[in-house]
Amino acid sequence: MAPLLSVEAVTKRFGGLLANRDISLVIEPGEIVGLIGPNGAGKTTLFNCITGSMHPDEGRIAFDGADITHARPERICGLGVARTWQVVRAFGRMTALDNVICGALERTNRVAEARARAAALLDFTELGARKDVPAANLTLADKKRLEIARALATRPRLLLLDEAMSGLTPRETAAAVQLVRRIHEELGVTICVVEHVMEVVMPLSHRVVVLDYGVKIADGRPQDVVRDELVISAYLGARRAAR
Amino acid sequence: MGRLALAVGAVAAILYPIPLQLQGTTYYQTVGFLVLINAMLGLGWNVIGGWAGQFDFGPQVFFGVGAYTAALLFVRLGLDAWLGLLAAVAVAVVVCAGLTYPLTRLRGHYFAIATVAIWMIAQPIGATWEFIGGSQGLFIPVKPRASVAASALSLQFSGPTKALGYYYSALALFALTLALMALVERSKLGYYFRAIRDDQEAAEGIGIDSRLYKVLARSITAAVFAAAGVLYAFWALSVFPEQVLELNWSTLPIMATVVGGIGRLWGPVLGAVILIPIAQIMSTTLGTGPLAGRGIDLIVYGLIIVLIAAFRPTGLLSLPWGRWFRRRRPAAPAPAP
Repeated sequence: MAPLLSVEAVTKRFGGLLANRDISLVIEPGEIVGLIGPNGAGKTTLFNCITGSMHPDEGRIAFDGADITHARPERICGLGVARTWQVVRAFGRMTALDNVICGALERTNRVAEARARAAALLDFTELGARKDVPAANLTLADKKRLEIARALATRPRLLLLDEAMSGLTPRETAAAVQLVRRIHEELGVTICVVEHVMEVVMPLSHRVVVLDYGVKIADGRPQDVVRDELVISAYLGARRAAR
Repeated sequence: MGRLALAVGAVAAILYPIPLQLQGTTYYQTVGFLVLINAMLGLGWNVIGGWAGQFDFGPQVFFGVGAYTAALLFVRLGLDAWLGLLAAVAVAVVVCAGLTYPLTRLRGHYFAIATVAIWMIAQPIGATWEFIGGSQGLFIPVKPRASVAASALSLQFSGPTKALGYYYSALALFALTLALMALVERSKLGYYFRAIRDDQEAAEGIGIDSRLYKVLARSITAAVFAAAGVLYAFWALSVFPEQVLELNWSTLPIMATVVGGIGRLWGPVLGAVILIPIAQIMSTTLGTGPLAGRGIDLIVYGLIIVLIAAFRPTGLLSLPWGRWFRRRRPAAPAPAP
């Protein structure tokens, strides 16, 4: 089967800083891929390149066979890629329901249809009771769930979650992991999660890609990646890896 | 707004000028006309400034475009005002779309400055372009009309019923604008405009073409301003640059919108109903007599706006009217034991 997303030799510079250097990876349909790495490894930059809010300086990105290297974010969303943001970007002055309606309007022009779909997704993400609350007044955990619901409303085939679990309490994190599993199983969406917390990503992901200083240093099954010397040194320093 | 309040407001707006007309005065009908025209402009500005959150300080350009288009068609081709109004709206939308698309790369203050810049460029064009009469402008001759119906159909009223005729014409256009804006607010457009206002990146991430929707928002604003410009031109019987490109055609509606409640459908309506009569009363009471010519009326007017801005920056509609209103109602009788 052709890969759903393919990133080929992508390089992204910010002045003299190489945020992504020659990164290649594929995401197959039906996978949950964890994209991990220490802070500043270039995970969010890669996400931004995939979703069109930035464009790579070199390389090529294709989604389902279509070249999206230089496509606008709204077109990439239309093709079936949705994302959430590391720093939450809910529509603060709109209610939770209206936030999700905006997402659902990507696939319909009828507000009533979008509203029904949005309400169903708020129930799916367990935000149904808070649907009339302005998004700015929700807790961080609920805002992150709301972003997921809004992203799902655009009917993505690939969902990119940028640190959907960071900053949450252990209980909230567990609930978020559960939600990601349900999105994968019940909605059949392929998922890529960015996290720097290994404990969250390892049990969740089918495959893990590790970035460090803008370079891909590992790509494989979670149990293999945690034993990889490069990965251990990236996370814990070179001395520990040598032991 | 509740159905009852809407019905009361509609009846009041329809009946308001009748006792005045029977008394033989026309001044307050004209005040009503100005309230309605500014409420209509506020409704239009609320689309780009309130819902889409893009501060546009140059919509008066489209007021001018509308006034000139209809006046030219009437003077040169004898086209009646309502047909001229349709043409004016179409021309304003096309001009606005062409001017605004490059502007949508700009954000925040830069967008606002660019809208002002376009207005500043429009002024010398209006003053020097001979085709539209230069600084002299265009004069709209009054053609005698046989009946009230003929006057209404041609938007030309004269004599003692002139103020009344324009009041009801403005009321009709205002009601149409209000109904259309209520539809826009609940449509995909309304949702997308507010999404762009709250977070442009997030909006693009869920598939919203922010540049297209900003152009659409400003084009709706331009259409309303053009329609109001036509109405004003036929009331004033002339179109000249200093008059239709005056800054007040944006500042008054913007102030009305902000005072009433920006981003709320009824905000500009409430603001206009409060601010425009105050401005008129101020200028006729404080602006005449021994204090005349010192701008006392403008100072007091400014003070009122400052007070509202200081104590209720989100506008008067954001006050907890529902709670106050309910509290005043008598408590429900206790259930029988």
